[in-house]
Amino acid sequence: MNNKAGKAAISAVVWIFLIGTSLFVLYPLVYVVSAAFSPQQNIAALSIVPFGDGISFENYKYLFENTDFPLWFRNTLIVATATTISTVFVCSLSAYIFSRFRFIMKKTLMMSLLILQIFPSFVGMVAIYVILLRINGLDTLWGLILVYLAGNIPYNTWMVKSYLDTVPKSLDEAARIDGASHFLIFRKIVLPIAKPIIIFLTITSFTAPWMDFIFPKMVLRSSKVQTVALGLFSFVTDKKNLFATFSAGSVLVAVPFIIFFVITQKMLITSLGGAAVKE
Amino acid sequence: MSTELNRDGSSKNKVLVTSILFMGLGHILYFKQYIKGVLYALVEIISICLIPFFVQKISELITLGEPQPDIAVKLRNNSIFMLIDGVMIIAIIAIIIGIYVISVRGALNEYKEYCINGVLKTNKASMAGAAGKAFPVVGIAPAVILLLFFVVVPLVFSACVAFTNYSAPEHIPPNNTVDWVGFDNFVAMFGGEASWTSAFGRVAIWTLVWGVLATFTCYAGGLIMAVVLNESKIKIKPLFRSIFILPYAVPAVVSMLVWKNLLNGSFGIVNRTLMEIGMIHGPIPWLSDVWLCRVVCVLVNLWAGFSYFMLLIMGNMTAISGDIYEAAKIDGASKFYMFRKITIPLVLYQTMPLIIMSFTHNINNFGAIYFLTGGLPSVADSTATSAGGTDILVTWIYNLTVTLMKYNYASVLAVVIFIVMAPFAIFSFRNTKSYKEGEL
Repeated sequence: MNNKAGKAAISAVVWIFLIGTSLFVLYPLVYVVSAAFSPQQNIAALSIVPFGDGISFENYKYLFENTDFPLWFRNTLIVATATTISTVFVCSLSAYIFSRFRFIMKKTLMMSLLILQIFPSFVGMVAIYVILLRINGLDTLWGLILVYLAGNIPYNTWMVKSYLDTVPKSLDEAARIDGASHFLIFRKIVLPIAKPIIIFLTITSFTAPWMDFIFPKMVLRSSKVQTVALGLFSFVTDKKNLFATFSAGSVLVAVPFIIFFVITQKMLITSLGGAAVKE
Repeated sequence: MSTELNRDGSSKNKVLVTSILFMGLGHILYFKQYIKGVLYALVEIISICLIPFFVQKISELITLGEPQPDIAVKLRNNSIFMLIDGVMIIAIIAIIIGIYVISVRGALNEYKEYCINGVLKTNKASMAGAAGKAFPVVGIAPAVILLLFFVVVPLVFSACVAFTNYSAPEHIPPNNTVDWVGFDNFVAMFGGEASWTSAFGRVAIWTLVWGVLATFTCYAGGLIMAVVLNESKIKIKPLFRSIFILPYAVPAVVSMLVWKNLLNGSFGIVNRTLMEIGMIHGPIPWLSDVWLCRVVCVLVNLWAGFSYFMLLIMGNMTAISGDIYEAAKIDGASKFYMFRKITIPLVLYQTMPLIIMSFTHNINNFGAIYFLTGGLPSVADSTATSAGGTDILVTWIYNLTVTLMKYNYASVLAVVIFIVMAPFAIFSFRNTKSYKEGEL
């Protein structure tokens, strides 16, 4: 009898805990969605009850007619896609070489990758600005892509290399004996083997540009090449507060991410756990 | 000089000296590898032609230009361009030296093979061999070159700036030149100038406290959520898990800016709600009271950061092999005992490197501070130093660069971050499997 009551108490506590945490997690998100569909523009006028102002699409109309939001979205998509493809290629190729070959200065290079990885890359902001200025990369999307790619290399090369180290070398050695070239082995054997970590790499390098702020702010000046993060930030500065427009844009950006993460959560758990184990 | 080589290894010095004398000469003279040799020689010829250019750039790096107040601004010496060009030239010279080393080593290896085989490789075989051997070098080249020019050069540049007087208002090119000043900036930052020293002390301590608290709260939060979700038998577990993933899925810019607006002292929803239901009478200064604001930073960061650790720990828990639990069950261990003695130690052991990584990440977590508080609220020295009450080192660097244009002090901070962070990097390097197994 006592045991049963104890179990019920524990389960009640767990329920209360889970529901309480869920409310805390959902709290700001509910207000973004409600602001996005509210007819009010300013946060000071928003009802404290979610969706208390009724539902309207005014903010979306404003977003698409009076701002460059579609353009920002397109720019970010280009930057994210190009960064992802180049990062996956360069990092996995370097990781394959670090994992399977012996060459001079290998240890020095590995060590420098690790040390470089700890710097927030904007520490060298001024220099990157001048270098891009020198190669005409300022105010262009490819300039930003180059900066992202270079910044992605140290950590991700390490990550993929650590993963490849755990994969037995027998497969690619067999192929080498059969006369396959190194690049063919990389493309046909190593890439498929490294699929879990490559997927993880793809996700992280694709999502990062959507959230980054400092580099776009520094590299991209004209309004035609802005990214989503810059644009959204410009809605809620100290000078003007278009919280509802900001919310409308945020919802558009966040919803694909949320759908993606919720669908792939099982895979995320295994690949995150896997990445951790392998480091 | 004969181009015949002795097979007993006695010609090693001959090969070495020729290869050092002129890049590729050894390949042409002794091994009849003309294509390779000519390519190497070409590199050397180009480098020699560029020597005057190199010398000029390096001397500019040393002088950083002369002030020329009487000519047009556009034509004046630009110290910053000189500094960057100088650093880049050093990087290029490093690449050339690298190629040199590779060529000499290649010649020596070639000779070693000759000693063993007794015949020179045919041109075709040597080209095929070169293609195979060049693969690691060529494959790694894009990564190395990109890193060199977009990561290493900027970092070295930053480190250099710490020893110059590159700052507004008096030393901003192209109007004025910049000069080397030795350790002046470090002296000013660490005791020389009272306002900067006190600001630095405050920001450095808060950065460390923030790093520890942010990491600890997120890890503990993630661990608790993972354990509760894993151990409880609630049917709608996937629903809760999906909810708890949301903060990880929402871009940080968005979530931080939303919290900033919700918590706004005068018009924020949080205060208005609390006042409406009568819990408080005046607005709570969430983001304008220094200490409260710091607490809010940690809490909001917990909101944004626990999901990552929850996912990670859940992944680790599922990765623990079932055999261990089976064995424990046979030995009569209770569920709670297994959890305490198997799950927790294993998860802790495996996530330890990630805790350290997360700490370094939080120390550098620009977004969490900049978007939420912007470093505000202001404190006594904020106008002079641009460091607010919640600024951490990286956001302060950003302010110094963008608002005050005190590049020299910003670089001093960058150097400090490097000195503090490098041991962590070396620690995690020594902890990697490949290092321990001596594979490197």
